[in-house]
Amino acid sequence: MITIPPVHLAVVAPLLVVGVTALVVMLCDLVLPANERTWLAYLSLFGLIGAMLIGTQLWGRQTSTFSGMFLLDNFGLALTFIFLTVAVITVLLSVAYTSDRGLVRGEFYALILFAVMGMMIMATAGDLIVVFLGIELLSLPLYVLSGFARPARDSIEAALKYFLLGAFASGFLLYGIVLIFGATGSTNLLQIASVLTKGAHNSVMLYAGIALLLVGLGFKVSVVPFHQWTPDVYEGAPTAVTAFMVAGTKAAGFAVLLRILLVAVLPVRDVWLPAIAILAVVTMTVGNVTAIAQQNIKRMLAYSSIAHAGYILVAVAAGGAAGTSSAIFYLLIYAFMNLGAFAVVIAASRGGEERLAIRDYAGLARQRPVLAAIMAIFMLSLAGFPPTAGFVGKLTIFQAAVQNGLTWLAVIAVLNSVVSVFYYARVIVFMYMREPEGEPWPAVAGDGRRMLALALGICVAGVLLLGILPTPAYQAAQTALLNIL
Amino acid sequence: MSITQVAFILISAITLGSALAMVTSRTVFVAALWMVAAFVGVAALYILLEAGFLAAIQLLIYAGGIAVLILFAIMLTPRVMQPMEGLSRFNDQWMFVAAVSAFLFAGLWALAIRTDWPVNLQRVTGDNIFLLGRGFMTQYLLPFEVTSILLLVALVGAIVIARD
Repeated sequence: MITIPPVHLAVVAPLLVVGVTALVVMLCDLVLPANERTWLAYLSLFGLIGAMLIGTQLWGRQTSTFSGMFLLDNFGLALTFIFLTVAVITVLLSVAYTSDRGLVRGEFYALILFAVMGMMIMATAGDLIVVFLGIELLSLPLYVLSGFARPARDSIEAALKYFLLGAFASGFLLYGIVLIFGATGSTNLLQIASVLTKGAHNSVMLYAGIALLLVGLGFKVSVVPFHQWTPDVYEGAPTAVTAFMVAGTKAAGFAVLLRILLVAVLPVRDVWLPAIAILAVVTMTVGNVTAIAQQNIKRMLAYSSIAHAGYILVAVAAGGAAGTSSAIFYLLIYAFMNLGAFAVVIAASRGGEERLAIRDYAGLARQRPVLAAIMAIFMLSLAGFPPTAGFVGKLTIFQAAVQNGLTWLAVIAVLNSVVSVFYYARVIVFMYMREPEGEPWPAVAGDGRRMLALALGICVAGVLLLGILPTPAYQAAQTALLNIL
Repeated sequence: MSITQVAFILISAITLGSALAMVTSRTVFVAALWMVAAFVGVAALYILLEAGFLAAIQLLIYAGGIAVLILFAIMLTPRVMQPMEGLSRFNDQWMFVAAVSAFLFAGLWALAIRTDWPVNLQRVTGDNIFLLGRGFMTQYLLPFEVTSILLLVALVGAIVIARD
């Protein structure tokens, strides 16, 4: 007789809701007529918000289920809320984007939902096997979604590049997991930690494993020198998908990095800390310096996202409660800023015509003043000016670094922040101080217009609210600690 | 040297040789056939390790399914059966890549030789497949379920990509 270990489905309820919604969306796609596909978006929103509401009921609980493979803690829940928020905004953006370009297919929303499931699994996984499966469940839909604008050449190129390099990165990740298993005899994160505390492990193999794991995850969150795919994929993928990748994948990747580094291999922090610190410096610097030279707004935002990965790495290096909570807080702010910026890029284009060169934004303030003002807010926030959220987020990260004795790293991050002002301000200069070129900017029409406006509204509200009144959200982030039972 | 060691060296040589032949072959079709040989070699290694079920899966999925799929893809792609004349398989980064690979190989080699590998002399008793199935339904239930969803996503994704 096989005894099945107890499974608490209530603990995994948000995950189940998203999964079931994805299946229902796919089924409804079969029966809905082609011009009624907007209902699939509404259905997805319903499921995502439902998952969020159920998640709030679990806040504060700390438990595990599925034989320790699934960990419930405030850390995982906080990130789950970030993923769900990202997905809600992405769906809102996608309606206008897909209907403008004739990309309306039911699978779009189902794939987004499955990817969100992958992210949620990554943030709550208690075992390296589940971590790996979560990453794959996130990556597979994204490979397909980046090629969704087929037969557009750059979309196909993006999908192929992302797929090949993603598969390559998965190989590194698996190799790392295997070596860590070899060194400690376990894939369970908490068990690895306890083996390492006792010192009953094989050091060389463990360090090799951690290094390969960092390479694999570095690919996923686009850390220099594993970032080369980022600009091409972000540029070629449909803009709504890029927004989802920039905000969501990065948050999910960092969730895994934080959990592995600050729980499983925390006892050997002295070994990986220099590596993370160096990666942070290189990532910030290369991202910011390369972003200056970009002429295409999507490429510029891609390099900017690389630079921001560097800032978040500073928080990871800082570690401890301060580092963890500042990383989570920053990931939320980062999601709002980037989704907002990409939403403006979508709003500023129509039909097959996307205006992606920064030069195209000349005179936007005169033709569409509200849109230009919103874009200016996001650019100021990305650069880290008060009273936007970007300022508060950077401040908490730098504070965490200084508190944990990494003042030199904080100084480099501040200097990088100054460099970044140059390219963010450039967009504002073009919008406000240059004469418009060409014909006036057409507004987005149709079904998705209101939803796009709503998405922009949520992002602006998020950026301003978290900038002016950061305390409630930051306090929540401070209680979002990792389960180390 | 025991019989097992001789067998291991022979099988490894065949596997690695086939893999090398696959990478260096000029015709995609021939490369695919070498790949099948390498897959079979890996299955033989599994048998040597007394992992019968794994060997059967390796033969069924890789040497069977994946190889047939690749041959189909080659068959349906026009002008791919001829050797690719004039197309070099090296680009200008090959030296850098070779250096990195050599470095990685040396590192893993040193790791493999210097490590005091933990040897678990406890034999797996009972039916392999039974134990595997029980593992999937008990301790590894979550990975098992997530894998099912992953396969569904792969299916949907493949159809989205393939459909016009």
